[in-house]
Amino acid sequence: MTAYSITEPSGRSKLVAGLLVTLYTIVTLLPLVWIISTGFKSGPDSISYPPKVLFEPSLEGYVNLFTTRTRVAAEEFQNLPPPETWYDEIVRDQGMVIAGPSRFGERFLNSVIIGFGSTFLSIFLGTLAAYAFSRFKVPLKDDLLFFILSTRMMPPIAVAIPIYLMYRELGLSDTHLGMILLYTAVNISLAVWLLKGFIDEIPREYEEAALIDGYTRFQAFRKVVLPQAATGIASTAIFCLIFAWNEYAFAVLLTSGTAQTAPPFIPTIIGVGGQDWPAVAAGATIFLLPVMIFTILLRKHLLRGITFGAVRK
Amino acid sequence: MPNPIDAAARATPDPLARRIRGLSDRTIAWLFVAPTIFLLLAINIFPLIWTVRLSFTNYRANRPNEEVEFVGLRNYIRILTDDGIWANMQTTAHFLFWTLFFQVLIGFTLAWLINRKFKGNDLLTTLIVLPMMLSPAVVGNFWTFLYQPQIGLVNYMVELLTGTPASSFSMLGPGGYAPWSIIIVDTWMWTPFVMLICLAGLRSIPDYIYEAAEIDRASKWRQFWTLTVPMVLPFLMLAVLFRGIENFKMFDMVVLLTGGGPGNETLLASIDLKREAFEKWRTGYSSAYAIILFVTVFGLASIYVKALNKVKER
Amino acid sequence: MSGFVKGLLRLRRGPWEMLATFLIALGVFMLMQPFALALYTWSFLVTLAGTVMFIIVSHFPE
Repeated sequence: MTAYSITEPSGRSKLVAGLLVTLYTIVTLLPLVWIISTGFKSGPDSISYPPKVLFEPSLEGYVNLFTTRTRVAAEEFQNLPPPETWYDEIVRDQGMVIAGPSRFGERFLNSVIIGFGSTFLSIFLGTLAAYAFSRFKVPLKDDLLFFILSTRMMPPIAVAIPIYLMYRELGLSDTHLGMILLYTAVNISLAVWLLKGFIDEIPREYEEAALIDGYTRFQAFRKVVLPQAATGIASTAIFCLIFAWNEYAFAVLLTSGTAQTAPPFIPTIIGVGGQDWPAVAAGATIFLLPVMIFTILLRKHLLRGITFGAVRK
Repeated sequence: MPNPIDAAARATPDPLARRIRGLSDRTIAWLFVAPTIFLLLAINIFPLIWTVRLSFTNYRANRPNEEVEFVGLRNYIRILTDDGIWANMQTTAHFLFWTLFFQVLIGFTLAWLINRKFKGNDLLTTLIVLPMMLSPAVVGNFWTFLYQPQIGLVNYMVELLTGTPASSFSMLGPGGYAPWSIIIVDTWMWTPFVMLICLAGLRSIPDYIYEAAEIDRASKWRQFWTLTVPMVLPFLMLAVLFRGIENFKMFDMVVLLTGGGPGNETLLASIDLKREAFEKWRTGYSSAYAIILFVTVFGLASIYVKALNKVKER
Repeated sequence: MSGFVKGLLRLRRGPWEMLATFLIALGVFMLMQPFALALYTWSFLVTLAGTVMFIIVSHFPE
């Protein structure tokens, strides 16, 4: 008989498990490492065979991502004044000159505006609704909660047709406001379900004490419940933000210009003869990196977020 | 624990609070819930009802001035007797079945290994989870690069491991690999989802159950099948249903990987629907198509919520 | 089994929900199976029936 628990796995089985999981992690991260490294390759390096693992880093992809370029005739090219900036030089090395900025900056900014706008709205409305569902007797509560959740499951294409028609009538197609409202409607279900779970966990006694002390319901909500739910609200917000950030189907169907977000834009980055892979990879890196960082911040609440709060830990 | 009540606030209630001081709990409840319900009615339910209405007509959104005719159930009958759409449903089924199969198999195995609580398992779990949080469109687009027949990493790996020349086959082109290519990417992306939920299931099993089994001299194999599996099953059901619903309506990743091609090999129902609705502009017809997909998803979602509540009670 | 039938007759939630779940699952299977076009044709009605039933019976007492 040994002193430690009999259910504790043996040292050897731990080692084997650790090695296998490490192996899986390496394989599964390979595509992500490839995205990031391709962003720093030059055009020829990115399409060489066999694929280059070691290469001379280049900012060509990032420069191409933010600029549009044109080819000029050979003799004209000779007569150009020497390049002024480092990015001019990188473009000249490809035998081209910069024609202007690309659309990537705008598209990225659209993603930021629509992402934060819809997150703010869904959290604002979601917190109110979640508080009501958590603390009051709302008639048909279960039906309403199911109704709210079921809207999340709707296939985007199924509602996209009438939303497209509706937005066309209201002048909301391809506008920031239209996309913010749409993403809020999709995200609010997650916000209500998650926040209800977080608020359920705050003991009612806190508010009751506040009510006895002469607070109104509303004051108790603002001064007692909200501060207690802050962590929950923050992690719910990150989930909403990530969803709006990643969304593609509605974005590609309902936006084309002014309000287009980055996901439909990145696949359209083309260079000479097909996609400009270093530029695509650079765009993808800039776009994916914030989500990776947020995921690491969220890791304690991940499970809760992806199961609508059903699994707490 | 400090008293969360701020005495100063009580002395000077702000005007808004004073105005709604008289409101009963019931009024507040409605006031708080109403905006959410209104938004969902406006952006989800109203369009849905509109889709139902359109599905009985021959309306075409690209010709708004043409006269709209009521065609009764004709759209539904045409879709439900169409060989081509039936084939798309089978393509969807193939995608669904194999993605779920691999994700459950790999996801559960990973969870089972991680549950040995070796050193560094937290870090590895976080790293493994990364793919599922990323934009399917952006990542799907990048996978077309990895799948390039001449230069792609996947073909290179295959050549390295099996000796098949990299330029002799194309993962996304003709040759029958495309349906498997999308399964690979989906599995890569969503295995962590199944893994996380299985891990939660495994961690919900209290140690004393195993200790009791150990005292009864039940073999490890027997413990696995009579204790571990039944305890994790509700969680697994949840994961399978959720992934099933998501993959039934899969659009973004596959559209960017293959666009439904080559031929119709990866033409999932939702991609076909997008073509009918936004390329051929058969709005009435595609509305009926959308309703058929929607009812299926809604049905599965009801089962999902039931499963959700079951897990919640644990 | 007799408990199941008794539950159905007394309009209890459990067995009816099980029946509705079964209908939905059957409908989804019929929709995507590769065997017969006729099954595909009728799948929608089966799923719809199951879904409507599910919504109604979820209001039955436990």
